[in-house]
This record gives sequence, C-alpha cells and structure tokens, in this order.
Amino acid sequence: MISEFLSYSIVPLLSALAIPFLGRKNEKITEILANVTILAGLINIGYILFNPSNHRNQYSTFTQDGFTLLMIFTIYLVAMCVVFFSTRMNDRKIDKNSYYPLIMLSVSAMCSMVMARDFFTLYIFMEALAVTSFALITTDDGRGGIEGALKYFLLTFPASALIIIGLALLMIVSGGFSFEHIQAQIIGAPDFLTFLALSLILLGFLIKSGMVPFHFWTPDAYQGSYSPVSAYLAGIVTKISGVYAIIRLSMFFKLFDDKAYKASEMLLLIGFASIAWGAIAAMRQKDFKRMLAFSSISQLGYILMGAGTFTTLGIIAAIFHLFNHATFKTTLFLNSASLEKNAGTTDMKKLGGMEHNMPVTSWTSIIALFSTAGVPPLSGFWSKIMIIIALWMTGSEFYAAAALIFSIVTLAYFMIMQKKIFFGKANPEFAHVKEVDFTLLSPVLLMSAIIIAAGVFFPYVYDYLANTIATRMVI
Amino acid sequence: MMSYTFSLDWFFVTLIFFTGAYCMAVSRNIVKQLIGLEIISKSALIAVISSGALTNNINLAQAVIIVLILVEAVIVATGLALLVKNYRLNGSIDLEKLMSLKG
Amino acid sequence: MIYHSLLYIVIAVSAIMAVMAKKLLNAAIMLAVMSIAVSLLLFNFNAPWAGVFELSVCAGLITVLFISAVSLIKKEDDLLKEGRIKYAILPFLAAVTAILSGIYLMPYFEYLTNYAREAAQNPGVGEIIWTYRSVDLLGQLTLLACAVFVIKAIFAKRRIEE
Repeated sequence: MISEFLSYSIVPLLSALAIPFLGRKNEKITEILANVTILAGLINIGYILFNPSNHRNQYSTFTQDGFTLLMIFTIYLVAMCVVFFSTRMNDRKIDKNSYYPLIMLSVSAMCSMVMARDFFTLYIFMEALAVTSFALITTDDGRGGIEGALKYFLLTFPASALIIIGLALLMIVSGGFSFEHIQAQIIGAPDFLTFLALSLILLGFLIKSGMVPFHFWTPDAYQGSYSPVSAYLAGIVTKISGVYAIIRLSMFFKLFDDKAYKASEMLLLIGFASIAWGAIAAMRQKDFKRMLAFSSISQLGYILMGAGTFTTLGIIAAIFHLFNHATFKTTLFLNSASLEKNAGTTDMKKLGGMEHNMPVTSWTSIIALFSTAGVPPLSGFWSKIMIIIALWMTGSEFYAAAALIFSIVTLAYFMIMQKKIFFGKANPEFAHVKEVDFTLLSPVLLMSAIIIAAGVFFPYVYDYLANTIATRMVI
Repeated sequence: MMSYTFSLDWFFVTLIFFTGAYCMAVSRNIVKQLIGLEIISKSALIAVISSGALTNNINLAQAVIIVLILVEAVIVATGLALLVKNYRLNGSIDLEKLMSLKG
Repeated sequence: MIYHSLLYIVIAVSAIMAVMAKKLLNAAIMLAVMSIAVSLLLFNFNAPWAGVFELSVCAGLITVLFISAVSLIKKEDDLLKEGRIKYAILPFLAAVTAILSGIYLMPYFEYLTNYAREAAQNPGVGEIIWTYRSVDLLGQLTLLACAVFVIKAIFAKRRIEE
C-alpha cells in the first residue's frame, strides 16, 4: 500500500460512516457531504497530476507508480460526475442515506485496491467493492436490477475461490503475495508453478470482469439498475474490479518473456471474442442502455487485447483505453439517464428526432460515440491505434485487422442509435420534451471536454504514459 | 509430520471443489447455489492452510484465513439478503424464472 | 494421520450430503457439520486461531443466517420441482473425480512437496496481523462497513410516491 495516498481511501470511508448520523434529519446535508468529499479528492489528485513541477520531476516525489495515480484520478472523476448528477436529479424514491454512503465506500475500496502492493490486499478490497455494487444495482428496487445482481453474485464468487487457490500456490512458490516477492521470483526462477498460480488468478479476474463466456450478468445489471448507477458501474466499478487486475497481472506475465505465450494467446482470443460478440449483439438491441452495455463488453475486449500482447506499448495502450472508456461510457450512460428522466424511456423504437428537443445531449453523445469508435482526433482514436500497432508488432496480424474492422462496426451501430434517437423523424408524442437543465448537463460537458482535450493534447498524454508509467512498469 | 499430508490435502481440495462446483452448475434453487458457494470457499480455505503447512509458515496462513472467514460471512449475509429481497419482489427462489430479460 | 484422513472423509461426505439434501434445512445443518469438521482440521494443523474463527463464524453465525433465511421461505417453495436424478448421480461422479485426480493430479501434488521449506523463525499470528499485514485491517474495516450499509440499503424502507 502506498501510504502517502492513504487519505484518498480513508476520507471517503469516514465520510460514509458519518453520513447516516449527520444526515438523519436533513438529507441536504448528506448530499453536500458526499459532493464535498469527492470534489476535495478530485481537486487534490488533479493538483498533483497537473502541477507542472510534479510533471517535470516525473512524480518521483509522490510515487513509484504512475498507473495508480492515473487510476485514482479516473475514479474520483467518474464518482464526481455520478454523485453530482444524482444530486441534481433528486429522485425522491431512493434512500439517500444508504445510496451516498455506498458510493463513498466503493470509491474508498477502489482507491485502496489500486494502491495495493500485494495480491491478497487487492483481493480483500475487491470483495468489498463487489459487495457494494450488488446493493447499488438494486438501489431502485427494479426487477431487472435484482436479476442482474443475483447473476453477478453467483458468477463472481466462484471466481474468487479460483483466485484464492492461485494465491495458495503463490504462497508455496514465493512465500508471500506481495508484488516485490513475485517479481523477484519470476526474474530469479521463472518456473511453471509461478505461471500456473498467476494464470489461475488471471482466470478468476477474467470471470469477474464480464468477458464473453461470462458476460450474462452485465446487460441485465446495467439495464435494470438506477440510471446514474449504471454510469458508475459501467464507467469505473466493473473496470477496476476486473480489468485493473488483469493489466497488473499482464505486467508480471511480461517478465516471463516468451514463456508466457499461451496466456497471451488465451487473452487475445477472449479479447477478440468479446469485441466480436459485443459488437454483433449491440447491433440487435432495441434499448439504449442495453446497447451501451454490449458496447461496453466490446470495448473491454480492446483493453484485454492491448494487455494481452504483454508488451510495453500494448500495456500503456490498454491503460489509456481504460481511462478513455471511463470518460466516454460515463457520458453515454449519463445521457441515457437524462433521456430517461425527461422523455421517460430509453426505447430506441419509440424515440425519434430528439435532436431539436435535447441538442446538448445529442452533441455530447456524438462526441462520445466518435471517441468510442476511434475517429481522429478524439482520445479513443489514439488508444485504439496504439492497441492495433502493438498487436501488429507482436505478429498478431489477424487480431490487428479484426480490431480495425470491429471499430468500423462500432461506428455503424452507434450511428444507427444516433439516427433512431436523435435524428430522423420526430415522434409527436415527445414534442413537449425539453433539454435537462444546465447543472445536469455539466458532468457530461466536462467529460466531453476531457475527451477532446486528451485527443488534441495527445503528445502530453503520451509523455505521461511513456515516462511515468512505462519506465517503472512493475512495483 | 504435517508436510507429508500435502498431497492428501490437495486431493480432497479437488474433490470438495468439484462437489461445490457441480452443485452450482446443476441446481436451480438459489439457496442451493449459496450452499455450493460455501463448499467451494471451504475448499479454497483448506488449500491455503495446507500451503502454509508445507512452507512452514502456518501463522501467515492463519492471518489469511481469518480474513477469508470474515469475507465469507459478509458474502453469505449479502447473498441471503439479495435472496430474501428477490423472494419478496418476485415470490420465487427459482433461478430459471430470473431469465426474463434476454439479449 | 488417520485422524486427519478421517476428518477429510467427514468433510467430503457432509459436503456431498449437503448438496443432495432434499430439504434446505437439512442442507444447512450438513453445512454446519462440514464447518465443524473443517475447524477440527484447522486445530489439527496447529492453527488454533483460524480454527476458533471457523467454529464461531462459519459453524455458528453462517448457519444461523442460513436457517433464518430458509425459515422465511414458504414450505411449498422449499423444494422446487427439480429432477432428482442429477443429485442422485453425484456420489458416483464424485468417486470418478476422486479416482481421476488420484491418477492424474496426485503425482503433481507429490512433486509440489519439493517446495517444502525448513522451519524458519516466523513471527507469531498477532505480529503478522498487526505489523506485516496491517493494511488488511483497513480492508476488514471497509468490508464490515460495506456489509452494514449493504444490508441497510437492501432492506431500506421506500417512500411511497403520492
């Protein structure tokens, strides 16, 4: 655990514990406390990340690990957007004194998880995160939500047992679970047992992150849950609980050199299957949120392919795509929440011509979907092109071509969505629908600005990725 | 004496893991699924203690197991809460009736 | 050694019986028997702390939770109309698994015993928990807080919309 960043996980934890006492009489206090906690964390990490003198020293005064720094920033960014959005949405049906503490607790668990320097610590916080996400999915008592939560529950905990058995094998081989132990073990004696232990842990995390053979809970959970919660889950929670650990593990597999080619092949195959199945299933969907869920599976596949090359370029591309995914998927899910709030439905068949009624929502959706599909100069283009180059350089020409083709398919299904919901013939039933007010739009506008900025100022981003993350890959 | 039981331990770990996994694979009853989950986590627990015994570091294994037991209790409590809520909303503990959303 | 193997046989048999039980209450009781056997096994491994936790939390608390949840479910729902045949063949399948793992996996497990280490001066349990793995305590705290809020959120009283 990096102790200088411990406050990022302890402050939300204390805030979560304080909310039920302070906000019992007045729920306004609950909302203010939640917003202030997250905003303070965001400003703090933003100051560290964007301060030029820190950047010049390559953050050496803070941490050895730029990956953790970037992930904490992403966690706070998405949490800020979601908390602010749900405050302004002001849904009276939900119980605020249990909803906001759960979000605070999951922020705390995620920050601890990315700071962990030990697989067992990582495991504990991941379980805490999983437990909070079930309660978040069932926030508004929808039937779809509880189905998704139960399916997630019954899939994710057998995977935990696989992780524990992998940890037991790690204990045999290196006598401990810390990253330094394992790194020393791999560099010293890269034997089969270490590989087997890490592969078991990898398999557990693949199941947890909702890759294609194990993806059944994802659409149900995202479609059935309370709208800001789906943005939160799709944007950051499921990514940190599964994909973060996969990228971390791929840094260890990289140390095996050529001996880990079987794990690489497996990851590339699962990544390809996720991309293909997610894109094809997304084309058939009638509901906006469900389509976004399948698109999320498809984008996970790209991250997995990037990490599965086990090269420096591929891993930093995967990290950048993880960040980009958080920005554009949060935008799209929050837009679907705005639609659901004002138009009352997210069914693509019923909606039409919403462009005149909700122009800002429409245009931010276009920015986010262009970034998802990889249209230059938006940020998604750069991460995808890096993933494709990394695949090409490791000799996986087939997968590189597939990644390219399916990004065109991504553009196709998003254009179909955009045409059905925002362009096209207006449905008179929705003629009275107005744009949501500015405070609800501000999280989406912020995310769109970040998408454009990260794309236009890509040289600076690449500088961060190459100098701060790639040069200190493990530890 | 203890390290000689290692292969026996792992033999039973595979057997118990199989029993739990089979229960989770075939059963439609959500309570049965939770029972299968418990059995699987017990096998993982035995794997940890036996690895600790092999490497003569039983104290680390104990520290790990205490945390694992806590995790298990929290998971079961959450699972049963979800089950009871699902029973109130849908009036069923059947897993197949959950498959109303398809895609 | 004989006591050790006997405990394993009790664990395996009670696991199979918990899966095969017709009534959910019996399944919960077989699970408790299994937990008690596991805690005796932990004592036999010379791991008393883990054994005590297993006995009090798994055999005690979790069994109580299971029984109280099962008692909330009505009798007619207790037993779904599932095919019994898939449970009846479980002992047979378990025996097949045992034989296969005896043939194919045992040599590998025997090989793993090469990784055995000499007894070193290991710190005590308390020292490991409080000094070396103190971060895990934060994890346990987070986990307990999560459990409290999750139960609170799942059973929250909803406001009825006027």
